[in-house]
This record gives sequence, structure tokens and C-alpha cells, in this order.
Amino acid sequence: MSDLPVVLAVDDEPRVAEAFALWLGDDYEMRTATGGEEALELMDESVDLVLLDRHMPGLSGDEVLERIREAGHDCKVAMVTAVDPDFDIVDLPFDDYVSKPVDRSALRDAVERLLAVRRYDDRMAQLYATTRTVAALESEKSPASLEDSDEYAALLDRRATLQGELDEMMASMDGEEVRELFELLDT
Amino acid sequence: MASSDPSEEAPVSTAELSGLVQGAELFRSLVENGSDAIVSIDESSTILYANRSVERVFGYEPEAMIGERLTMIMPERFRGSHFDAVDRYLETGERQLDWSSIQLPAEHADGHEIPLSITFEEHSYDGERVFSGIMRDVSERVAREEELQRQNERLEEFAGIVSHDLREPLQTAQATLAVARAGDEDALEELEAVFDRMEELIDDVLTLAKQGRAVGETEPVALGDAAEAAWSTAGDGTASLSLEAPPTVSADPERLRALLENLFRNAVEHGGHGVTVTLGALADRPGFFVSDDGAGLGAVDPERLFDYGYTTDDGGTGFGLSIVADIARAHGWSVAAGDSEHGGARFEVVTA
Repeated sequence: MSDLPVVLAVDDEPRVAEAFALWLGDDYEMRTATGGEEALELMDESVDLVLLDRHMPGLSGDEVLERIREAGHDCKVAMVTAVDPDFDIVDLPFDDYVSKPVDRSALRDAVERLLAVRRYDDRMAQLYATTRTVAALESEKSPASLEDSDEYAALLDRRATLQGELDEMMASMDGEEVRELFELLDT
Repeated sequence: MASSDPSEEAPVSTAELSGLVQGAELFRSLVENGSDAIVSIDESSTILYANRSVERVFGYEPEAMIGERLTMIMPERFRGSHFDAVDRYLETGERQLDWSSIQLPAEHADGHEIPLSITFEEHSYDGERVFSGIMRDVSERVAREEELQRQNERLEEFAGIVSHDLREPLQTAQATLAVARAGDEDALEELEAVFDRMEELIDDVLTLAKQGRAVGETEPVALGDAAEAAWSTAGDGTASLSLEAPPTVSADPERLRALLENLFRNAVEHGGHGVTVTLGALADRPGFFVSDDGAGLGAVDPERLFDYGYTTDDGGTGFGLSIVADIARAHGWSVAAGDSEHGGARFEVVTA
């Protein structure tokens, strides 16, 4: 297993799934499916992002998305579709909506953005948990005993590291990305 | 030049005109016979005068209106506010409405509403304040506006579907090209099919745009001959057409052929290899049916079948049966889909 993020591309047109794999293959571990059922078979906890066509015979993209969420997968899902967005998408739990036709650079941008959000989400959750642990210890223990504790020191280090990583992520994104990020985080 | 000869100045024509005016024949005739309905009321909204055109617009003889309240030609919901507005105007001179050309519905003697464009005038007659309304029936204009609105909505819906249906194969073409560039040259062969599909879509959309219009001249068309002609383009090598006493219908021949071609193409594409397509007269009503011995509609929703862009087949454009429905509608016919007794699909076109 590589350490590369795992991206699952789903499109009933085999060439489209194939091209997505080609465009992203250098930087991501790619899986491809040409139907909803096959997509669900390829889903597991290691998948970071799903690129999902909406209009497919058999299980539609919308149905696949619902099943992914029902199964509790917390991966990012981008609908990649030629279907004009209508109000019905409000209730669909996806993370991004990409209109076809999409070319290599637009697809790579969308994928990078979503995976950045995923990393940010992940660090933010860890930072929150760490901060809560620090707060719990501080309310129970005396300052002296905290000072003596190696565990407490390690915890503070970890919190600082996470904070640094988050700051770095924010700084590495340009204005547009930050805006989109917060729109996504709002959902 | 004219000033040098005073005898050519207005006096002659003025004299003629004043003769007419004095007799008031011209104006009476204009008011009586003009196409606008004119109704005059007093301060209590009692009708003092109605011209002949009120009969055409409201369905009442002028004599039946004189002496009645104006509210007789108002829809119930406006009656109260009418009296309030008149009272307020008489008291304060304040107008509730624009008096020059406003749009309000009136109520016809038979109860239906008529959209009117109304101009109000106030004048005095015998020392009384008299109010007149000059009312034009704008039903046709309103109907045209509504039709335009419907067409715009349809166009919008249409544009959405077309853009979707072209963007999908465009994505496939782009992807296929990328795969070919990466070394799989065989992928290039597939591009032709993708482009064919886009071309077919554009042809269908153009046909639909043309067929959606009202039909022109209709003439008696022998359905059997029309079917043979349509089959020559829509049929394929393995399928066969069978005619069962096809009737003669009154139709625009070119549109009828397009309708049949699309029904046949649908039957051939969905009926499978060696399908037999039958065209014949309806037993109980004027019209005809096209049925096949293929797989039938199956899980397809017959309601959605005629929608723009609806297809169960990846290669189809989803416009064929929309064309059928539009041509039928343009002739004033109705078309419905169901399963045939032989297990295939059956389309019925009722021509009356």
C-alpha cells in the first residue's frame, strides 16, 4: 500500500473513468468503477475522495452517494456531472459539484482542494480533541503536578504542532481557496 | 402660395365637418359602433349609457345594462373596493387607479372573466357628474402573452437538456482523446461514434424545434403510403413492417412522415433484432396505432416517455418520442403509450 491519497472515479462511460485515472494517477492511488454497484464494492475506509457521475444506468450517482454516507464513510465526494444543478441537490450530502466537461487541470484543482479540506478537517478534529484533553487535565490537576508530567508536556507539544500545521495550511491557500474552504466547512 | 388665395383655406371643409358635428351623427355612430365597449355611470355607479359593443364584450344587450349597477360586470372580488374608490374620489378627488389605460378583468354574462384595458373619463351632463369607461377586450393579447411565456419556459427547459446532452459526449470525447494520447491509439476509433451521437442529437433538436410549430396545410394522407415511405428511412435490415388496414388521416404529410419515422425508429431500437412493427387503424376511435412484438415498455414510466431528453438507452438522444408528441399536439391529436397484446410496446395516436 502506498501513502498516496486514494481516489475512486465512477463514471458509466469507461473512457471517462480511465481518463480521470490517467490525469490523477501520478499523485493519487486510483480506483475506477463504471457503475454504482461496482463503486460500492470498491469503497472502504482507505478511500479519501470519490469522483461520482450522477446520471448512470442502474444505481445512480445520487443513490451511490446516499449509500456511501449511510455506510458511515467520511470520505469527500465530488459529483462530476453534466446534469445542471437544480434545487434537489440541496439535500445531497456531497462536498463539491463539478460540471462536465472537465479537463485535466480543472479536475486536478478540484481534487487538490477537496483533499486539502479533508486534511484540514482531520487536523482540526485532532486539535479539538487535544485541546479538550488539555482542558480536562488543567481543571483536575495542580499546576505543579502538570509541570512535572511528561504526558502533559507531550500533549502541549502536539497541540502546538497541530496549530502550526493548520496555520501553514491556511497560509498555503490563496484567497479563493480559503473562501471555498470555509464555504465547504460551513456545510 | 396658399396664403395668396384665401378661398382655398379651410372654410369649405369646416362647413362640411360642422354639419356632421351638428348632427352628431359621426360621433354617435363612432361611439355606438366602435369596437370598444363604452359604459357611462352616475355618482352612484348606476349605468346611464352603454354602447352596442357591450353585447359583444360582456354578453348583455345595452338595454339590459342601463339602470343597473356597474358592479354587474365586475367580478365579485372587486365590487366592494369599487364603491370605496368611487366614494373616496367623489369626496377627495383622489384617484385610486391610473385612469388612462389600466388592466382589469370584467365578468361576462356567462360568468367567465374577460381581461380588459380600460380608460376612464369624467365629464358633466345635465349638471350631473358622469364617469365613462372605454373598455377594450384584450383576451387575445393576454393569450398571446401567456403563449409566449409558455414558449419561453419550454425553451429554457429545452436549452438545459440540450446543454446536458451535449456536455456528456463532449466529456467522453475529451477523455477518449486523453486515453489515445497516452498511447492507446485504438481509442481514437471510438471518437467517431461519439461525434455521430452528438450530430444525431443536434439533428433531433433541430427537428424538434421545427416540428413544435403549428401545422400548416393539412390534406388527406393515405397512412399506408406514408408508413412505407417512413419505413424506408427508419426501418433496418432485420425488422419488418406490417400494415393492417391503415386509415387515411388529415395531416401535414411531411410532419406525419417525421412522426412515423420516430415511432418506427423507437420500435426498431427498443424492439430488438428481427422485430415486427405493425401499423393499423384504431378499432373504437379515429386514429391509428404502431405496435411491435419486442420487449415492451417494461419498467419505463409511460408518463415520462414523451419528455424531452428521456431515454433508457445510452445511445439514444431521448428526443424521438418528444418529436412524436409535438407533431401530434400540433395536429390537435393525442398520443399515448402502453403495452401491446403481443407483449411489445403499443403507441396510439387519436386523431379526433
